[in-house]
Amino acid sequence: MSADLLTVEGLSIAYGPTVVVHDVSFSLAQGESLALIGESGSGKSTIAKAILRLLPHGEATATGRVALNGRDVLGLPEKQFRPLRGRELGFIPQDPASALNPVRTIGAQAHEAAALLGETDPAVRRARILDVLEQVGLPDPVRVYDSYPHQLSGGMLQRVLIALTVLPRPSLIVADEPTSALDVTVQKLILDMLTELRQELDISLLLITHDLAIAAERADSLVVLKDGAVQESGSSRDIFTAPQTDYARSLQADVPALHPDRYRAQRTVFAAEPTHDVVFRPAAVASRSTGLQIDVQGVTKRFSAGGKDVLACDGVSFAVERGRTHALVGESGSGKTTAVRLLLGLEQPDSGRISVAGQSTSGRSRAEVRDIRRHLQLVYQNPFTSLDPTWRVGRIVREPLDQFGVGTKPERARRVEEALASVGLPTDVASRRPAHLSGGQRQRVAIARALVVRPDVVVLDEPTSALDVSVQAGILELLSKLQRELGLTYLFVSHDLALVRQVADTVSVLRKGQVVEAGAVEDIFSRPQHTYTRALLDSIPLATPAAALGGIAAEAKQPAKATA
Amino acid sequence: MTGDYRRFALTRAGQAIVVVLLAYVFTFLIISVLPGDAITNTLRDPQHGLSEEDIQRIVAFYGLDQPVIVQLLLSLGRFLTGELGFSLQSNLPVSQIVGDALPSTLTLATTALLIAIIFAVAIAYGAQYLPGKWAAIVRSIPSFFLSVPNFVIGLILIEFFAFRLHSFTTTDPHSPVATLFAAITLAIPVSAPLAEVLIASLDHESRQEYALVARSRGLSEARLFAKHLVKPSALPSVAMVALIVGELLGGSVITETIFGRDGIGTVVQKAVTGEDQPVLQAVVSLSAVVFVAVNLVADLASPLLDPRVKLRETKLKEKVGA
Repeated sequence: MSADLLTVEGLSIAYGPTVVVHDVSFSLAQGESLALIGESGSGKSTIAKAILRLLPHGEATATGRVALNGRDVLGLPEKQFRPLRGRELGFIPQDPASALNPVRTIGAQAHEAAALLGETDPAVRRARILDVLEQVGLPDPVRVYDSYPHQLSGGMLQRVLIALTVLPRPSLIVADEPTSALDVTVQKLILDMLTELRQELDISLLLITHDLAIAAERADSLVVLKDGAVQESGSSRDIFTAPQTDYARSLQADVPALHPDRYRAQRTVFAAEPTHDVVFRPAAVASRSTGLQIDVQGVTKRFSAGGKDVLACDGVSFAVERGRTHALVGESGSGKTTAVRLLLGLEQPDSGRISVAGQSTSGRSRAEVRDIRRHLQLVYQNPFTSLDPTWRVGRIVREPLDQFGVGTKPERARRVEEALASVGLPTDVASRRPAHLSGGQRQRVAIARALVVRPDVVVLDEPTSALDVSVQAGILELLSKLQRELGLTYLFVSHDLALVRQVADTVSVLRKGQVVEAGAVEDIFSRPQHTYTRALLDSIPLATPAAALGGIAAEAKQPAKATA
Repeated sequence: MTGDYRRFALTRAGQAIVVVLLAYVFTFLIISVLPGDAITNTLRDPQHGLSEEDIQRIVAFYGLDQPVIVQLLLSLGRFLTGELGFSLQSNLPVSQIVGDALPSTLTLATTALLIAIIFAVAIAYGAQYLPGKWAAIVRSIPSFFLSVPNFVIGLILIEFFAFRLHSFTTTDPHSPVATLFAAITLAIPVSAPLAEVLIASLDHESRQEYALVARSRGLSEARLFAKHLVKPSALPSVAMVALIVGELLGGSVITETIFGRDGIGTVVQKAVTGEDQPVLQAVVSLSAVVFVAVNLVADLASPLLDPRVKLRETKLKEKVGA
């Protein structure tokens, strides 16, 4: 092992009197990679900012020692630290969409990075910039150079940011959740590219992530953080295969890719016979069978935006039996949101037929659609925005009952209580406002709101994507339990195939408005037919647990080969 | 320049013309319902010494013996051709009266605008980068500036700089130094709202992630401010500058009186006391034109300053994918 590039010793960080990071120590050798892993609030980003010295002035105080190449940088005056920024210490931020100045071109901002090389001739700098943009896999560097950030996609922006970070050849890059804002397939491409560049340029990586699978796949060693303190640290392989602490064990257990059958036992109780091969009926065969709770047939929807026609749904068909879970999988722009909006009657299809619980939703009056919607409830993606912050939980959950005029006042109150109890929330939550609840509790409130009218079908639109992994596990467990007890039919919309394998019976893979592949989850996962499905499967970190557990060391040592 | 921008610019220019015309009509109607009869009060004032023939000519010129609507149309038609008529008080062409007074006021207002912008930027920079206690003090300056009346500031400046330090004399109010102090008087209250907008948007922009990322690239605070933060923070301020031009026009009346300057302020004051309808109409319309024009410029500039404002642009990402 070569000398340590980065040494953190007894680092504590406080915002005013609140200590958020307690006595954290770790070290990172030249050319190695280390992941700080933990949930939101674990202090991982704060530690990263402290190392980069980007904590807000005057608000946060950091004590301890942070040494870069043996030189303590924590106490260094800004004037002496600044030359290290960019040149020694690069930073890749979390959300590429907000990490570039929106009113300056990419080129103008890239020159700042190029200037760190000491090159003064703008033409040479420009050539260097175009080179590095090409190196990170951007197809048209000149065009990107002249673009403003809003003209590029998230994946392209993250490539730009990586390009700007590696351009001055720093010895260490701190990447703060570099891919969590991106689509899964893009995420894999970006991580592969980063791994490759790192190898090529001999750059060390400090990766901040909440995703143990990504951390284990991409880093040589891990530091597991909880509430600002180190729980466990060591090599990725050791922690991943044999976690020592309870917390690391639960983190490992919550990685969907590693435990595909986690919820299966609880779910299949309702439909005692495993009839996977007939559960999914190809749309052409799907009949008016009473068992079909959702039946979508050849639905097409066209939007025109800016004089251009976009086919958001192109002959989409799928059907879901009572008590089953069907997943719609696809990336942004795949048409899954449009499919859900059509199903909910929020949009009318141009052609095709949709029926819910045997009733057709297309071509009906608003009042009738409203009535059908009682059988069809939606749980939104982001519980931080889907609950009215000024309402108390009791009123939020009661709203659908008021809306549909269900029962008397005491009956409604009783049903609200029942709904809250069924999602595992204490009764006193009813008098609180959303701001006083955690993300997981909020999503439970949203589920209670959906269940209070006793629907048959619940549409789950990425119900856990805004939540931490461990919270996600709790919500999925709850959803499985409710499905079993109430015989609910779920339509599960997600971009995360590992998650889909855990919770769904059947799946439709959407791409550019078309169903490219559909079938039972087992079949899709074991024998994917379409290249796009294969790409999605490949993008799951540690997609095959056996390889993950056995071959992780090999993979960690030769990431360039493993991902080439 | 794209076709979209041309369409946008033409629409905005058309709207601006409509606003000016409406302002003209509105002013005309307000003046015409004011109590007092311009003919008896002004024209027949023996002090003016107008002959009956002159009076008849003026009455016929303005259509003063006809219904208000006819007078309006007559006056509006002349306004559109640039003909502003004659003062009822002095018999001089209105264009000449306004033309004589305008340069002095324009000098004052432009200088004041520049000073206001300098003050606002300095305050906003200080609020952002001075150490804690000082920043807090700087942050309270705008509300202080806003709460001190313009004439108090003017009188203090005259007392101190003219009478004590003899930096300028009040007998020559148009000298450069006197103009500078008059402009400072006018600029101080006007800089306050601008500084507040700038402080708020700088606070907002400096908290954005791109500022953090730029800092991680080793930019100094001064460079970060100049290269990254000024432009996005200036966007809301451009609209504010357009609005404060209105205040400059209003404030110049008081400032000119305090410093004894001849300018549009003095013209307005005389026209109001003398019920000089054509002069009043011309000055108000001129102010409307200036105000609308400045706002039009601000509107037209914003898509050029902020690339995100442009509409319906084909996105590169649709063409090359992620």
